[in-house]
Formats: sequence, C-alpha cells, structure tokens
Amino acid sequence: MKAPNTPPRIRIAAAGKRYQQHQIFENVDLTVGEREVVAIIGPSGCGKTTLLRCIDGLIPLTQGEILIEGSPMLAPRAGVAMVFQHFGLFPWKTVHDNVAYGLKLSGISKAEINERVPHFVKLVGLSGFEKYYPYQISGGMQQRCGLARALATEPRVLLMDEPFGAVDAQTREILQFELLRIWEDTPTTMVFVTHSIEEAVLMGDRIVVLKGRPSSVHEVVEVDLPRPRDRATLLLPHFAELREHVWGTLMADARQAEFDVIKNN
Amino acid sequence: MNLNSPWLRGATVAASLALGAVIWEVTGRYTSDAFWAPLSATLSSLREVAVNGVLLRQAMSSFQLYIAGLALAVVVGAPFGMLLARVRWLRVALEDYVLMLYSTPMVALIPFLLSMMGFGFAPKVLVVFLFAVFPVLYNTIEGARSIKPELIEVAQSFRSGEWQLWRDVMIPYTLSFTMTGVRQAIARGLVGMVAAEFFLSPSGLGQMIMMGSQNFDTAGMLAAILLIVLLGVGLMDLGRALEKRFAVWRGYNP
Ligand SMILES: Nc1ncnc2c1ncn2[C@@H]1O[C@H](COP(=O)(O)OP(=O)(O)OP(=O)(O)O)[C@@H](O)[C@H]1O
Ligand SMILES: [Mg+2]
Repeated sequence: MKAPNTPPRIRIAAAGKRYQQHQIFENVDLTVGEREVVAIIGPSGCGKTTLLRCIDGLIPLTQGEILIEGSPMLAPRAGVAMVFQHFGLFPWKTVHDNVAYGLKLSGISKAEINERVPHFVKLVGLSGFEKYYPYQISGGMQQRCGLARALATEPRVLLMDEPFGAVDAQTREILQFELLRIWEDTPTTMVFVTHSIEEAVLMGDRIVVLKGRPSSVHEVVEVDLPRPRDRATLLLPHFAELREHVWGTLMADARQAEFDVIKNN
Repeated sequence: MNLNSPWLRGATVAASLALGAVIWEVTGRYTSDAFWAPLSATLSSLREVAVNGVLLRQAMSSFQLYIAGLALAVVVGAPFGMLLARVRWLRVALEDYVLMLYSTPMVALIPFLLSMMGFGFAPKVLVVFLFAVFPVLYNTIEGARSIKPELIEVAQSFRSGEWQLWRDVMIPYTLSFTMTGVRQAIARGLVGMVAAEFFLSPSGLGQMIMMGSQNFDTAGMLAAILLIVLLGVGLMDLGRALEKRFAVWRGYNP
C-alpha cells in the first residue's frame, strides 16, 4: 500500500494539445498508479502518439498539465523511457551499443555499462546478437532491442507507442507474452498505445478509449482479469466479454460515421 | 564461363593485362618514337629515373601537394558540411554556391588563381583543395540532412544534449556519407594535382610528363603517366576501402 501523501506516478489533468488552428485532444484526465498498466486505444489520427510525446516531455501541452511523481513534465526526464513505434534504433550502432545508449548518456562508467547491458540483452532474448547491426536482424528482434534500450535505464515509467505494431502476428504474440513476463519480474508503470483490442485487454489494467475530434477520453474500461496473465488468459470468458465491450465502444462511432457519410450523399 | 570462381576471375584479369602489355609492346615497336614507345622502353626509362633519384624527388613533391590539398579538403569540408546541415539559415544562404561549385569544372578557375596568387606552393595546394573539397562538402550536407528526425527525437527522449547529439548521432551517421565524398575527392584531387603541376609552376610528376613531351622522350613521358595511373588505381582502392569501412552499418558493399 502506498503512503497516502505520495503523488501518483502519472497525473494528467485537463490536458490539451493544439497545433496552430488544429486542436488534437482536449480535457484529458488520467491518473496512473505505481504498478499500473494503462492501454490507450483509439482511431488513427486521434492523437495517441501526440499524447505519449507530451507525457515523455518531448513536446509541451497547450492546456492543462502532466505531472510525473508530482512534478510537471517539461522536458524528458530520467526514470521515464519510451519505446518507439518505428523502433528508433541507431543503424550505425550494434545491438549492444544501442542498448547501452541511454546508460551512456546518463554518465555511467563504461565498465558498469558493459556489466549491465548483457543482462537486458538476455532479458529480451537477444543474447548472441550483441555485435549485429540493426539491418542484420529481423523486425521483431529490432523491437526487442528497442525495448531493451528502454528497460536498461530502469525506468519507473515505461511509455510504448504501438510497440508491436510493426511486426508480424506471431512475433507480436510472442513479444506480448514476453513483455508480460518481464513486467511480472519488475512491475513498473506502463502506458502503451495500441490498435489491437486483444492486446489492450491482455496487457492492461485499464483501457483508455480516446475518441472524437478533438479527441478526449471517451471511456475508461477496468480490466479485472487476474495476474499473472498468459496464454490461458485469452481463453477466459471474461476476456471475451471485455474484448466485445471495447470493440462495441470503438465501433459505435465508426459505424455512425459510415451512416453519416451515406446520409450526406 | 563461371566468373564466380576467384581463380577463373584472376586468370581472366591476368590474361587481359598480359594482352594489353603485348599490344603496347608491339604497337610501340611499329610506330614513331615521337608519340608512342614500347612498354619495355617505358619500363627501362622508369628504372632509370628510379635509380638516379629523379623519380623519388618528383613523386615526393607531387605527393606533398596532393596530401596537403586533400587533407585540407577533408578537414574543412566535413565539419563545414555538418554545420551547414544543422544550421538552417546558413544552409539556405550557401547551398546554391556549393552546388554551383560542385558542378563547375575546376580547371576553369586555374588561370584566375594564377593571376591572383602566382606560382608558389600555396596556389597549387589551393587547386587540389578546390578540386577535392566540393564532393566532401556536398556529400556531407546531403548525408547529414538525410538523418531521420525520428532518431533525433529518440536522442532527445534519452535526454541527449546538443554536444552528445553530435557525438552519438550526427557525426557517426554523417561520416559514412562524408566518406563517399572523400572517395570522390581522392580521385578528383589527383586530377587537381596534375592540373596544378601543368598550369602553375611545373613540378612533380606533372613536370616529368611535360618534360618528356617537350624533349621527345616519349618513354619518359609514358613512364610518368603509367606511374600516375597506378597511383590512381591504388588510391581508388584505398578510397573504396575507407568508404566501406565507414558504411558497414548500412549493409553497403560497393
Ligand atoms: N508536428 C505536428 N504539427 C501539426 N500537426 C501534427 C503534428 N504532429 C501530429 N499532428 C497531427 O496530430 C494528429 C494526431 O497525430 P498522432 O500521430 O498523435 O495520431 P495517432 O493517434 O498516434 O495516430 P496513429 O494511430 O495513426 O498512429 C494528426 O492529425 C496529425 O496530423
Ligand atoms: Mg501514432
């Protein structure tokens, strides 16, 4: 149990972002606890990546605020790490050097880096590939490498933008279960964006549905499935219920939009 | 014929070279000495200048000029190119000049340099430099500019400062493109070297060619040319090796 006066890991209050005349999202409120996994889901272009960038401190909000451990995120900060949809590996660095990147920047000695990196390389199942360049390994392995790079900084908040969006279905499934296993070992705060309803239900404690133009939090679905979660979770009747529920929420608008198009013609 | 076998390849190349040598020798014997000499005469002329020390002296003179100009081109071209790529207004202001000079045949500037700076060592170095610098500059700018903004965002997300961004991202990424420029500069610099030795005060291997030509010593002239050709081939290989070395991560294999 956490002390009553500890601030939540992440607190997003009345957050909004506008680019010139274009309001991307507004009035987003969300509080994420210490060992909580929150999935953000919503139609393409609704501002999920933008929101995640704001949480990471890469770009500023235009309304409201985002606090991590009580202090506002105005710039990227130690303890918060991001896994990118496009992997974001440095192609001129080997797997080892990519994983070491965050550690190198935080000024840790070379000896200690060389001691720590193999642990995280092993954690994501890349042992033996330390000397490979990104172009020499598969997409799934590249994403593992991106994950290891983020994990190596031992973040208290892990942000992931469609972490498995660019890999094939089988790899995606394997990576999901591996991430669940890694999370069970060291449970941290995780916020991840996904387009997959199944992935959101499987991994999340809560699912935040972003919708509308400008978008805002349309619904927050509590996922009360037991942990640890694994393949058997997929077979639970309650899993299917939750999946259908989220599906309905997301699709209601999509279908409405389709009807609008037909009516307007 | 299966040219994938290294042995067969080697044999083909050797046969081709041998045939070339034979043609050179035979045509040399049946043409006027005024403009063509057989290979054997060329080689013995080469041996002669090698023994009497002229070759070493002239080659060193050329080499000094070449290295000075080329080194200056790399040392100026690479950092300046990265600066141009990162500082937007500077790039907008100067890009057109770079492109213009990149595509200008530099020989055209030699008479102008001559009247400006006279016959010393410095104007010759400047000629080699001008021949070599624009490929380095141009490739560096294009390379540095092609870096994905996503990667810069990754660096920011990991809290990279500006100087670390240069150390970990800009320079290692751009260097591989700079090396493509350096490979071109290696070849162009050699042209610049010979041009400078021809058109400014004669010196080095260029002078050997000119003197051979003026004294109707065709074998001596061919000896100097042969040397420059061999030098060029060797330098091109060096350039390609350099480029390859810095582009391993692109899976690049020229
Ligand atoms: N730098 C920017 N300037 C102006 N508009 C931007 C900028 N970045 C993003 N946008 C706009 O913000 C909107 C949301 O983009 P964002 O990438 O956050 O969507 P998303 O929900 O992540 O979409 P997807 O699911 O396709 O990844 C888009 O309409 C996009 O055009
Ligand atoms: Mg996105």
